[in-house]
Amino acid sequence: MKHVLCGAAVTVIGFLVLATPTFGHHSFGAEFDAKNCHNIAGIFTKFDWSNPHAYFYMDVKDDGGKVTGWTLESISLSSLRRSGTTRQDFIAATGKTVTVRACMAKNGEPRASAEVLTMPDGRQLRVGNAGNRDDGGGGVY
Amino acid sequence: MKLRFGSYLPLSASVLAVLFVTWIPAVAQSQGSAKTGAIPQLQEIKALPKGGPAPRNADGHPDLSGVWFPGVTGDGNLNDAGLAGDYTRARQSFDRKKTPEAPYPFQPWAAAKYKEMYPSDVEIQLHSPAVNCTPRGVPAMFVWNPYPIQLVTTPGQFVQLNEMDVDFRIVPTDGRPHAKDPDPSFHGDAVGHWEGDTLVIDVVAIDERTWNNRLGWFHSDQEHVIERITRPSMNYLTYEVTIEDPKVLTKPWTSPPYTFSLGHEPLQEFYCTHTEERTQFSELKKKIETK
Repeated sequence: MKHVLCGAAVTVIGFLVLATPTFGHHSFGAEFDAKNCHNIAGIFTKFDWSNPHAYFYMDVKDDGGKVTGWTLESISLSSLRRSGTTRQDFIAATGKTVTVRACMAKNGEPRASAEVLTMPDGRQLRVGNAGNRDDGGGGVY
Repeated sequence: MKLRFGSYLPLSASVLAVLFVTWIPAVAQSQGSAKTGAIPQLQEIKALPKGGPAPRNADGHPDLSGVWFPGVTGDGNLNDAGLAGDYTRARQSFDRKKTPEAPYPFQPWAAAKYKEMYPSDVEIQLHSPAVNCTPRGVPAMFVWNPYPIQLVTTPGQFVQLNEMDVDFRIVPTDGRPHAKDPDPSFHGDAVGHWEGDTLVIDVVAIDERTWNNRLGWFHSDQEHVIERITRPSMNYLTYEVTIEDPKVLTKPWTSPPYTFSLGHEPLQEFYCTHTEERTQFSELKKKIETK
């Protein structure tokens, strides 16, 4: 267990040193698991276009048909815009089925730090760099 | 497993990180190949060319004016990335191999305090002043800031506008001395002068809540920061900082040179106000503090 924790901590720290992150505000590493990232599909229900993180919400249905509301955290508004993702894209996604690649919350709640949002037409929008935290400055962040 | 502040990670961590960075682009591309439409590939880093000589002001000094992004691409596009391992170089302000960072010379009491407060990176992140959107201060507004800054230099004045938190400072560059016993502030009492083509900004009285970088390098009220800023060519800005702190450090510490590249877009608004999603975060912090 100690070995696993050490490896996990080393990996998170590895990101934070090698990556130049944009998270900016609170800690990716405390809340999300950089080693547990995968796709989630569901209906994009609504969003908050705000700083320091935009949020969007999805209704995700499991195999048994149960629907869970998910909260997806994205990067700051200026980083979204500079990466080609706009508020109009989020408007266009509302009510539609989308897929998002995201890194899961450590506490098992239906929350994740999103990286790529795939629109119904197949366009892929960058909404974060959950796995490659961009911290800016000094090679870390 | 010990975490040594300010030092390189063990090779294993770098290898793990590089492997992970390789995996993500591969996954993104394999998803994209099954779909139609434009795909934001992790693209090759396009470092800006030098762009010719830096412009000069009427007083003959380099004009530092411009919108500056950390790294070499002159933009904030998170799709800028190279191959595995090169991803971070697009946004990284200094090359860890070419110009490594010297270990931070904490005094023994400070090193012990650091270890006690931040046994791992998780504690650093949870206690970061950034969590409450506290201003970065100096030098963090250069060395711990992924967002662009806008500089305006006119004879006698240096103006810095920080997109992050809609923050600014104005530094006189006419060589005047510090105020006598200035009140502490996040940006400190800063006075500047030119040494050849380098603008030297001398800063004291910096609020103790600021961190010198994202690693939680704290300081005392006796901290003395000396910033050196120059523009070696049209498209590049170089920033170097020396930190002296007789209460916290055994000796002065000088950073590697940080690279910024010229952008051609305006700063955007970035007020850090959205707090509703912080509930889970504060609960997590409480859990860790009561362990």
